Amino acid sequence: MAYDLQLTNVYKTYDNGTPAVIDFNLSVEKGEFIAFLGPSGCGKSTTLRMISGFETVTSGDLMIRGKRVNDQLPEKRPTSMIFQNYALFPHMNVRQNVLFGLEVKQMPKAQADRKVDQILEKLGLSDIAQMPTARLSGGQRQRIALARSLVVEPDILLLDEPLGALDANLRKSIQNELKLLQRDLGITFVFVTHAQSEALALSDRIVVMNAGRIEQISPPRELYTRPSSQFVARFIGSNTILPGTVTSRQNGNVLLQTAFGILAGANRAETDAHVGREMSIILPAEAVDLVPADVPEAEMRAAFGSNAIPCTIERLQIVGHIMHMIVRFNDGKQINVEGHVDKYRDRLKAGGSAFVAWKSANATVIDR
Amino acid sequence: MESKVLKPILAVYVGLFILFLYGPFIVLGILSFQQGPEGGPQFPIIEWSTYWYRHLFGLTPPSRIAPLPVGEALVRSLTLAFMTMVTATVLGVMAAQAFRKRFRGAGIVFYLIVLGMMVPGVLTGLGTSLLANNVVGVERHWWSTAFLAHVVYTFPFAFLVMLAILNRFDGSVEEASWSLGVSPMKTFRKVTFPLIFPGVLSAMLFAFTLSFDEFPRTLFASGRDQTLPLAIYGTFSVEIHPNIFAFGVMTTLFSFALLAVYGILMGLSVRRAKKMAMQEDIA
Repeated sequence: MAYDLQLTNVYKTYDNGTPAVIDFNLSVEKGEFIAFLGPSGCGKSTTLRMISGFETVTSGDLMIRGKRVNDQLPEKRPTSMIFQNYALFPHMNVRQNVLFGLEVKQMPKAQADRKVDQILEKLGLSDIAQMPTARLSGGQRQRIALARSLVVEPDILLLDEPLGALDANLRKSIQNELKLLQRDLGITFVFVTHAQSEALALSDRIVVMNAGRIEQISPPRELYTRPSSQFVARFIGSNTILPGTVTSRQNGNVLLQTAFGILAGANRAETDAHVGREMSIILPAEAVDLVPADVPEAEMRAAFGSNAIPCTIERLQIVGHIMHMIVRFNDGKQINVEGHVDKYRDRLKAGGSAFVAWKSANATVIDR
Repeated sequence: MESKVLKPILAVYVGLFILFLYGPFIVLGILSFQQGPEGGPQFPIIEWSTYWYRHLFGLTPPSRIAPLPVGEALVRSLTLAFMTMVTATVLGVMAAQAFRKRFRGAGIVFYLIVLGMMVPGVLTGLGTSLLANNVVGVERHWWSTAFLAHVVYTFPFAFLVMLAILNRFDGSVEEASWSLGVSPMKTFRKVTFPLIFPGVLSAMLFAFTLSFDEFPRTLFASGRDQTLPLAIYGTFSVEIHPNIFAFGVMTTLFSFALLAVYGILMGLSVRRAKKMAMQEDIA
């Protein structure tokens, strides 16, 4: 079966010799929602622009529905792009914007009108169809851009930071609309963002990029539970990273000699964690328990083994149902822990001492 | 305190500036209403009259002062200015469009183009004429060699205007159009051009007015048949009469009319936008 989109050993090097994308490999099935996530300048937008045809591919194969499209012009590709600044045609009203693609393709008037009406209806734009686009809100404008792209029925919709210019509340609601729309249409979405919350909320799989390379490709949940590199661990969520040296292995867990004694985590990446190897334990903020100092040590050891580090509670903050706790190890390192309010309320107080503790299975050991 | 001193000084400065700008024209304007045919091109005004305007259009009884030989020259100049305007603007738009991509040698090509308006006009004119006569071996005409010199002269202006416009132009609307399956040619026609049209209009205005009153290049490059500025200059060598002033007033009014057309065309897009905005308010 052919993939909807397949990139094999794709490189992009700019004319001045700067590498922008290095050895990009990805296969996307029809109807998948893929997010490219990474800091600015990581090559995510460049990759998207290569898929759209706005940038040339320096080497490697870019396939859409089994056909190599490296040398195909943007207007010949079955892709359509949504831009952060919407890129609406300012000299056309809403309806003319949406009709444009069909008009130029010389689709019969009646058929084109029907299609445009349908998509305007679907995106809730029927009432403003005759308006100029300039004075509409960001959310409305982005919906017009969506309608304009979807009406030409692309195989793959490319979205370049489409929510970046919207305020937080609107972003949430458009996010939901986008997800529903994608499920409904069943076409492939490739979405570029630097906001992890967007990527995590929307996508089936996330491609984390850094400095032109793919760091990890996995479903959102796994980025938390199984970061495969230091970069991902730092970039995604709020992880604590404890460097150490492997001392031994016990049923899937790896024990490391760290600055806080011997501590353990799960070896999820199944790397060769031989004794003496330099590795790190990754502790996700929500996988860690904060145990008040007055809990008997035996009780704590029973639950968490040796995985406990003494700390001082710096600050407690409740946001909704979540308690955010900032604690400090005695070497001065400050880390974040979070958990459900009910679990912690009345048990902890700022300035008190406690233990940061975890079950080995909730932490991940990765290479340094 | 400071503004109490500064403001009057600036006001006087602006006043002087405007005086120097319009002074000559006002003097010419006044003198064009000198009595004729005896009255000369100097003060005082013997008697106010429109004699020289009538003289210009051949409506006065024959006198010792020959009518200005400008009729054909005016037609030539208008035709030449129109040809130059169209050519220079098309070239200017195309060249500026090319400069959006940073091609190899773009910097040098840029300076070579802009140099066209820096080189002294007399030299360009002389050079064009020598090139035509001695190197290529063709006759000089206002519609061939002079036209060439005019395009060379006005093209950089049109180019710079378009460069400034395209510099601020957001290319993502073009990309959006391509990604809807619209070819680059159609995208230019339906998206890019309507959006840069005000700039194109400015470039056209520049090219037309520059060509219309161009003198040094045309002097050498135009051959036997004269353009308007040359014809007017030719009459100076005999004797100056206020009919030239009357003609000057007429051409200035023509220039203002041109500006008005430009203003109206520019205003049209604004008005269209306003009309759409009103529809929105009703809805």
